[in-house]
Amino acid sequence: MKPNMKWWALAAIVVVLALVVVVPSLKKDTEPTKTAVTPVEQPAPAKEVTPVQQSPAKGATDKETFVYVSIGGGPDSLDGAYSYDTSSGEIIYQLYDNLIQYDGESLDKFLPMLASEVPTLENGLLSEDGMTYKFPIRKGVKFHNGATLTPEDVEYTFERLMLSDRAGGPCWMFIEPLLGTMTIEEYAMQKAGVDSFDKVDAATLKAVAQDVMDSITVEGDYVIFHLAKPYPPFLGVLAKGSSWGAIMNKEWMIANGAWDGSPDTWVKWHDIAKEKMVAYDKANGTGPYKLKTWDQNNIQVVLESFEDYWQGPAKIKTAYVKYIDEYNTRKLMLEKGEADAIYVDPQYLSQVAQIPGVVTETKNEVANRVALFNENIPVEGNPDVGSGKLDGNGIPSNFFSDIHVRRAFAYSMDYEALIDEVLAGLGSRIVGPIPSAVQFVNPDNPVYNFDLKKAEEEFKKAFNGELWEKGFKMTISYNSGNDVRKTSAEIIEANIESLNPKFQIDVRPVEWATYLDNMTAGKTTMFFMGWVADYADAHNFVQPYMHSTGAFAGYMGQGSVDRAKARYDALVDEGINNVDPEVRKEAYYELQRLAYEDVQAIWLYEALKPFAHRDWVKGFEYNPICPANYDFYKLWKE
Amino acid sequence: MLQYILRRLMLLPLVIIGVTLLIFGMMQMLSPYQLLGLYVKSPEELRNQNLDALVEKYRLNDPIGTKYLNWVTNLAKGDLGYSESANMPVLNALLARFPATLELALFAVVPVVLGGIFLGSVSAVFHNRPLDSIIRIFAVVGWSLPDFVFGLFILMIFYGVLGWFPPGRLGTAAEMIVLSDGWRAFTGMHTIDALLNRNWTVFWDAIRHLIGPVMTLTYLWWAYILRITRSSMLDVMNKDYVRTALAKGVPETTVTRKHVLRNAMIPVTTVAGIMVIGLLGGVVIVETVFNYKGLGLLAATAAQQLDYPMVLGTTMFYAFLLVVVNLLVDLAYAFIDPRVRLE
Repeated sequence: MKPNMKWWALAAIVVVLALVVVVPSLKKDTEPTKTAVTPVEQPAPAKEVTPVQQSPAKGATDKETFVYVSIGGGPDSLDGAYSYDTSSGEIIYQLYDNLIQYDGESLDKFLPMLASEVPTLENGLLSEDGMTYKFPIRKGVKFHNGATLTPEDVEYTFERLMLSDRAGGPCWMFIEPLLGTMTIEEYAMQKAGVDSFDKVDAATLKAVAQDVMDSITVEGDYVIFHLAKPYPPFLGVLAKGSSWGAIMNKEWMIANGAWDGSPDTWVKWHDIAKEKMVAYDKANGTGPYKLKTWDQNNIQVVLESFEDYWQGPAKIKTAYVKYIDEYNTRKLMLEKGEADAIYVDPQYLSQVAQIPGVVTETKNEVANRVALFNENIPVEGNPDVGSGKLDGNGIPSNFFSDIHVRRAFAYSMDYEALIDEVLAGLGSRIVGPIPSAVQFVNPDNPVYNFDLKKAEEEFKKAFNGELWEKGFKMTISYNSGNDVRKTSAEIIEANIESLNPKFQIDVRPVEWATYLDNMTAGKTTMFFMGWVADYADAHNFVQPYMHSTGAFAGYMGQGSVDRAKARYDALVDEGINNVDPEVRKEAYYELQRLAYEDVQAIWLYEALKPFAHRDWVKGFEYNPICPANYDFYKLWKE
Repeated sequence: MLQYILRRLMLLPLVIIGVTLLIFGMMQMLSPYQLLGLYVKSPEELRNQNLDALVEKYRLNDPIGTKYLNWVTNLAKGDLGYSESANMPVLNALLARFPATLELALFAVVPVVLGGIFLGSVSAVFHNRPLDSIIRIFAVVGWSLPDFVFGLFILMIFYGVLGWFPPGRLGTAAEMIVLSDGWRAFTGMHTIDALLNRNWTVFWDAIRHLIGPVMTLTYLWWAYILRITRSSMLDVMNKDYVRTALAKGVPETTVTRKHVLRNAMIPVTTVAGIMVIGLLGGVVIVETVFNYKGLGLLAATAAQQLDYPMVLGTTMFYAFLLVVVNLLVDLAYAFIDPRVRLE
């Protein structure tokens, strides 16, 4: 190139680049249809679009693809024996089938699924004493890998689950009815007559496994559950929507390194790290979708229709669950039709409802939301406790074991603002652990109301006045993307900081799986949580919140566990072990009173669950017990 | 030239040791417990209640010299710890996200540098005339705009209203192709992979998703290059040899192109090199606005969630990158200015 041409070449490049920036945008309108190499490329014809927008459905996916955009970092684990959260349950729901299923949106009517009949007294599959359930297993059902479902698969699934019993996990729902204790370790300790699981000898361990294996047996085409005591909610425990009821393939599980089915070896697989469990990130279920990928880099789960599904293949062939914390991005995606449905916090629902072509709905939920206190916070290396001492620059480990601190926090929450503004009026207060829709709730149970004067009084009493004098500094975490929890934390922050300039609270987001890990490892300070019913019974709410082995109460520090053992455990047992409603009511009323008196948690609210999807989404129904916001199998697009 | 390159390469290890010392020094401000995440081999270890045993196991209370050696050995093995915010080992997350950011930076650097040089030289040639003022005001406005404001503005216009350039890296249709079995990911950069796989759907889709962030970055960074080009050109234009050339009767355009622009390029090269790093690191907010899953978004999430291993990992990564790019800039220098290699 001649030197004097360089200048022009440079200018030419700039012009070309400028064109590169501008032109594809202009060409774009025609481009995709012209270069359509794959059939998936065709944008959906947007019939129902309003003329207001130029072309709202331009980015829309085709009719066989469904995109749901949620929040958080994705599921915690895809293994039904481990996962005990809605984000994981949502995916497991699509991958696996259970023995039975709920009848539509009903909470107590069941339909057969992998079992060809639901056991009842009438058909004789449920024994008179309520202790034996017989499930005839459906024939010809295929797993994703082509294997055929056998009764042995069902037996193995639940035996493995009971023996793996991860701490804080869902397995108690089987151990309690089938063995009579809350954990397998407790059962082994009782059997051996020792006070620690490490001391249980090998022979007893084997006997424990034998008991587990005797509690679930196979007879021909039937799987039989032999309960240790009548357990009214047992069918609810098994029904679809319970990720712990997901039926796995015995041969595939063992081949991939899960428990080998022998009573001698189970301890090796007992309470192991979630990543070490076979079905943590792979799946071989009988459900309508196969796991295509759990893509941790792009933070999404992709599901593919299982063409040999026993009820016939799904209409939606590919389903995406993406996780995007930023509300504005989710909203834009829904607006452009790039998402068919999004997670939406109640405060944004009215905004989303204004988008043309978008349908919003609210549904009942059997759930409540609370703020829990960790009464023994580990201070080493904990970024949330400042100095870890009562010196004005942090909080001590036992900060929340002082009831005055808990009370002060409960008085500092502006419940009305939370419900009116943050929940946009879609919620109402709860009086304790039991939601209003569940039997044995005491609507007249006392509650703490927003009262900064009383909060100040309580803070002044805490730690014999030392706290008020020195002040404190702490961080409250919430799961990223959940703006309701973020705002709830900020309300508490603002109110408490207004009481005393030496009080300082920070709020930070934590990714969902880590948030759960931090909770079970007892690392959080105060944390926002919700409990969605596993089945609609008061026991399912007092157990996690108040029993010393409960999913929450067991992880809120030694102080909480000790209090639960002393004051709540007996009442919780009384509630579930009696069939007389009067006795049950008495136990549950007393528990609710104690939950107030001890400030076991800040009992926040229950709310309608908001949904937002495009109007081309058809077949939407929501069962309040189900963790899945959308049952992809039942959906189609028009 | 070869000798110069070798000399520069020999300096590289020293610079890297300096960098590790600096970062290690900063790490000493954290407690051993907070640093555990850097050492553990699997996430379940972190859930262990007995942190003291872990501190003991990874010898975090050893004398500082031993600690440094341990840490550097881990680094050399590529063991940067486990990230709780990304749910995977730090190195895996860095490697998975880096191509995305590199792709964005590469696409941004061309219009930024060439456009900046072009605008800068026009500005210098027409200095103190209306065209100069217009260009400078235009560029300074871009420089002063916060990236989240301009980014959101672009997103609103080009996605919200026009629906042309969506956020993210790929649309659902293209993503399905990329996730399919037939797709081979050579570089992790979708545009390049698409060319290698000869798939135009993915290529155009990737470009479409890049335009928004690239436009934002370009406008924000133009002033940077423009100002350097303009001032260094004005500087050179006052040099004796330029006056001599003009006095000799060389046409003005030739003087501008041959004598001025070429000599004015030296400072521009330096800044452009550093700007690449700036782009790689400065995309944090742009990536967040456009939900573009690259290193910036990764680092921002990690910082927000107090994920120390990831924050330190990205710091380390950027430090290495800076060292390498600086080396490349130095080499480019020698290429442009013969005096540098003669020294």
